Amino acid sequence: MTSRGSRLVIPALAGALALALLLATAAGSVPLSFPGVVKALLAKLGLLGDASALGATGETILFTVRLPRVLLAALVGGGLAVVGAVLQAVFRNPLADPGLLGVGAGAALGAVLAVHLGLASAVFFALPLAAFAGALAAVLAVYFIAGASGRASLHGLLLTGIAVSALAGAMTSVLLVATEEFRVKAVLFWLAGGLDGRGWTHVQAAALFVLSGVALLVLLGRPIDVLSLGEQEAASLGLPVRATRLGLLGLAALVAGAATAVAGSVPFVGLMAPHALRPLVGPLSRRLLPAAFLGGAVLVVLADLGTRTLSARVELPLGALTACVGAPYFLLALRANEGRG
Amino acid sequence: MSGPREVLLSTHALAVDRGRRRVLSDVSVELLAGEALVVVGPNAAGKSTLVRALAGLLEPAAGEVRLCGRPLAEWPSDARARVLALATSEEEGPDALHVVERVALGRYPHRGPFQPLGATDHAAVARALQQTGIAALADRRLGTLSAGERQLATLARGLAQEPRVLLLDEPAAHLDIGHQLQLFRTLDGVRACGVGVLAVVHDLARAAEWAERMLLVAEGRIAAEGAPDAVLASEAACRAFGVRIRGHAVPTLSHPFYSFEERP
Repeated sequence: MTSRGSRLVIPALAGALALALLLATAAGSVPLSFPGVVKALLAKLGLLGDASALGATGETILFTVRLPRVLLAALVGGGLAVVGAVLQAVFRNPLADPGLLGVGAGAALGAVLAVHLGLASAVFFALPLAAFAGALAAVLAVYFIAGASGRASLHGLLLTGIAVSALAGAMTSVLLVATEEFRVKAVLFWLAGGLDGRGWTHVQAAALFVLSGVALLVLLGRPIDVLSLGEQEAASLGLPVRATRLGLLGLAALVAGAATAVAGSVPFVGLMAPHALRPLVGPLSRRLLPAAFLGGAVLVVLADLGTRTLSARVELPLGALTACVGAPYFLLALRANEGRG
Repeated sequence: MSGPREVLLSTHALAVDRGRRRVLSDVSVELLAGEALVVVGPNAAGKSTLVRALAGLLEPAAGEVRLCGRPLAEWPSDARARVLALATSEEEGPDALHVVERVALGRYPHRGPFQPLGATDHAAVARALQQTGIAALADRRLGTLSAGERQLATLARGLAQEPRVLLLDEPAAHLDIGHQLQLFRTLDGVRACGVGVLAVVHDLARAAEWAERMLLVAEGRIAAEGAPDAVLASEAACRAFGVRIRGHAVPTLSHPFYSFEERP
């Protein structure tokens, strides 16, 4: 059923992720020694007695700056990739992306609203929470507007997603113009996407939603596979199509919303990771979703490393970096897809 | 076959709307265990709508469908899918899916979302691949198959459900003549185990040769019903298709040979 090669993909990806995580914690404006990082981590886990390999400053950098940031990158990338894989199955389109449902635009609107109202500076964690609420609201709006005309057809959902995104984008612009200048910068940083200055609180919040959401989606792998055969065949196999689709979209919005809330917009990860891995592990969820999680995590951990190390003077926006890789990838995949059809 | 056969599927005065338009009205059908019932009719007559309504995918506007004597609406959807399978020529799985995985999804109604597939499931999948003659394609991806092979994979998924009622919409649409003959032989094999098969078939000659009973649907109503040769010889068939249909007895053939001419 599966060739020997495809069984090695997931272990290989897990190895690559471990390596990428170590590399990304060691490298940066203050480089830490590779063995030193490994020793310090093992000591923290209680597996090694001697913890002095990095020195006090090194340890502070590792445990309060690098490690939470790198873990957050892994959670964001993994979560977005799993959501992408699920949406590609549900919409039966190998190029579907979380952005299509209005997640990014809704999150941006929520974040800007929080900043505009002054909540973001007054209440701790208000910006990511508002972004999260915005993402969920956008997806719900898309689903119910598309479903209002009778039954939610897939084309209807996608086109409604575009319309809702455009509307949210317009409202975001209006709010930005109406917001005092000193507050705008905070929102621009968030909009560009990035993990600068994120700490353990962000990691905990993201881990809660991303990991539980991903676990549930993996558990629902078989219904996802049945749904990927199309509405009619899924219904004829006894799957409650509408309820299943609503549940899956809700979970997808939860995961993508949480990822976007902590990292801003990180486009194309949800498209690239599952699209690249599907030919290797096949489209069945029980293998594709774990593989996509690992692949997406590697992708964003390395991209975040790139934002910190590619330029000596400024930190590049994470979303810009993934878009620079993702947009050409998308166009090539689109051509390949059309050439075949 | 001897003795009265069980009625598996029946409708009485069934009407179905698509949007605000009534596409089927006053349809009463029965499908018996082991029966070969073929549905013919011109394009847009309502054949596909009938099949989908019988499968429980379309809500009747009037009348009802009964499966094994019980109203279809009362069946839990997974229980229904264990008794009734639908295969149409529109269905397409993801390109990267392997044939065996696609067929194995036919076990969903038996195992549900969480239970792992067991030995009986794997046996049913292997049997379905065998019956449809695509066992050699088991490890191929759907994207690498021809339209006909994909259609056989869809049929195999339906057989893997191990249903008592098999509903088919254009099962032979993309098949070459060799595969068509093999398909109908496969269906006869399934019928021998008591499965009732209802199929929409476009090729009238092939339909008449295979079926025990023929249903002619025209303009959303049943225009004729009975032995295939009698239905095709009827005035209703000529009117429905707008052609002259003639059956010629050929000494070496068990079935009449049909010719079709446009009516002036």
